[in-house]
Amino acid sequence: MIEVKDLVRQFKSGDRTIKPVNGVSFELEKGSLASIVGKSGSGKSTLLSLLGALDKPTSGDVVVDGVSLAGLPDGKLTEYRRRDIGFVFQQFNLIPNLSAVDNVMLPMEFAGVRKAARLKRAKELLEQVQLDPEKQSRRTNRLSGGEQQRVAIARALANEPKLILADEPTGNLDEQTGEHIIELLSSLSRDHNTTILVVTHDRSLARKTERCFRLQQGRLTEEVRTGSRR
Amino acid sequence: MSVLARSVGNAFRNNIRTAAVVAVLAVAIGLALAMLVANQAVGAKVQELNASVGTTLTVNPAGGQGFEGGGEPLTTAEAETAASVANVTSVVGTKALRLQTATTGTTDSTTGSTQQGPGGGFGPGGQQATVSTNLTAAVDAGTLGNRNNASGTTGAQPARTLPITATGIGAEVDSTGKALEITSGTGLGDYTTSEAKALVGTSLAEKNNLTVGSTFTIQDKTFTVTGIFDAGTTFGNNAVYVTLPEAQALAETPDELSTMIVTVNSMENVDSTKTAVQEALGTDKADVTQGQRNLETAVSSLDSVKNISMIAFIAALATAGIIILLIMVMLVRERRREIGVLKAIGARNRTIGLQFVLESLVLVALGSVVGAVIASLASGGIASALISSNTSTTAAPTTQRGGGLAGAMPNGGGMPGGGQGGPFGGASQLLTSVTASVSPGVLAAGIAAVFAVAIIGALVPALLTARIRPIEVLRGE
Repeated sequence: MIEVKDLVRQFKSGDRTIKPVNGVSFELEKGSLASIVGKSGSGKSTLLSLLGALDKPTSGDVVVDGVSLAGLPDGKLTEYRRRDIGFVFQQFNLIPNLSAVDNVMLPMEFAGVRKAARLKRAKELLEQVQLDPEKQSRRTNRLSGGEQQRVAIARALANEPKLILADEPTGNLDEQTGEHIIELLSSLSRDHNTTILVVTHDRSLARKTERCFRLQQGRLTEEVRTGSRR
Repeated sequence: MSVLARSVGNAFRNNIRTAAVVAVLAVAIGLALAMLVANQAVGAKVQELNASVGTTLTVNPAGGQGFEGGGEPLTTAEAETAASVANVTSVVGTKALRLQTATTGTTDSTTGSTQQGPGGGFGPGGQQATVSTNLTAAVDAGTLGNRNNASGTTGAQPARTLPITATGIGAEVDSTGKALEITSGTGLGDYTTSEAKALVGTSLAEKNNLTVGSTFTIQDKTFTVTGIFDAGTTFGNNAVYVTLPEAQALAETPDELSTMIVTVNSMENVDSTKTAVQEALGTDKADVTQGQRNLETAVSSLDSVKNISMIAFIAALATAGIIILLIMVMLVRERRREIGVLKAIGARNRTIGLQFVLESLVLVALGSVVGAVIASLASGGIASALISSNTSTTAAPTTQRGGGLAGAMPNGGGMPGGGQGGPFGGASQLLTSVTASVSPGVLAAGIAAVFAVAIIGALVPALLTARIRPIEVLRGE
């Protein structure tokens, strides 16, 4: 279970204090697929970076399976990202000069998984995300956007994380490919019992998740239970 | 894919840039290695000079040197006097003999009698006794030998056989104080006792079919060859060494010395010790000469070259380090987002830092390979350029190789070493004889230094990666 408790992140901009995340609280059950919608600049990405321990909150806490992130040293936060979090980004953020397999193997290498085991799992994951086998050893900068996002999802699943955070995962994809990616995330959530939180400004995409949060001026102002899934 | 494999892959991400970086590094590393090679070559030369002649003084009887002049012979008592002078580490006496082949010698020599040079005949100056031997000289008289033996009469002279130089020595050194290079067999053992043993030069041994254990005669006494030595010159190898007491006994002058080789403890003390030895022996008894007098300037010049090459080595090394530093800083800035990605998916700071250090070492390794080739091609030229630019105004312009005593000798003979050139041959000769050869050891040491500097240079950008926050991954999202 993911518990977000009164999370605040503020920045100084000249004399002004900006609070892109201002007292956000919510809970996500294990294996749920949820979305956060909001306009550009509403604080979606900032909230996502706090949940993924990419950034530290000004106040508040994120508790993952009973473990509080507040006050954890950098080394422990790195371990949390490695073990418990999988990221999927709008711009994919793959390492361009590595092959698809090598990209998926990276998080496992950082987790100390033996080479043979990580190669086997990487190939299994790429099969699950339906990447053409002959493209698995191709450099990722030679793959299409949809293929790159599939590789990114496989990479996010590599260490069997508790939470996958997807930041505008369909933002750089055409509508049809975007649909496929959302269906893929949904099925992975079911199959792997992994909690997935998608940040998007696309209302149609959000409707396909079982829970949807609206972030407005740093506050989670609305929760819509779509019940469209399962 | 391991960190190393990733680092190698990253080093070749942009082939054009990699080639440019390697080229720049290669020039810096090549220059550094060339300077190190030059430094080592010059250093070895300086060491050789200091070890051989740089700290030795030669003492001759006052008024006599070689086979010219007059005066009273040196004695073993004077050797002890010289040894007691401050800063003198050793005094080696020598006794020079001339071995005349029995069949070609004079009537007296064939009967086995000893001829003392009376200022004419075989030994002008009285410095050398002539004794008979069954050995044949390894050097033909030739034009020079016959000209030197000419008695002043005009017309054709009969062809002569050159005498063989024999020297009694008080230690295992040649007559210039330089250690003997024995190529087979052993030395004479105790050089202070009279024993019928001898060391024979390579060409003389070959000419007379002598090997270790062979025998030959001097003055009807049978000598056993204990070792064969290589003096490095044809003249030097037409020689025999026996123990000092043995030579004195053969010459029937048991207390006399032809010369003394005085070794001083350091080059700095040579001047003062020369004066002290001269005073101790008396100006009317002995002439003390500083064999390396004309070498001081040369050695000083070589020392300057050595210092300059070391400074240039360090500067080139630092340049290589700075190049690595700047390139890696540029790469880190360029890959901020990628570093953020790696951190976001769980890479530790040290893993990322190591990746960048290894990437820089891959570039340095490539630069070192090319640099080593550059150094092997350029080090000789660079060393020569350094030496010529630093010594053109200081080196004594001596053109004669091997002044020594050779030219003063009848028959073209002389004291061993006199005709060898070598250290007494003049500063310019010495300077041009510095050979900058690229040895694997020097290259390895230089490349190790380059890698050490590269690691230091790469550590700064590697540490910079630790300061990049994982949220960089969201920049531009």
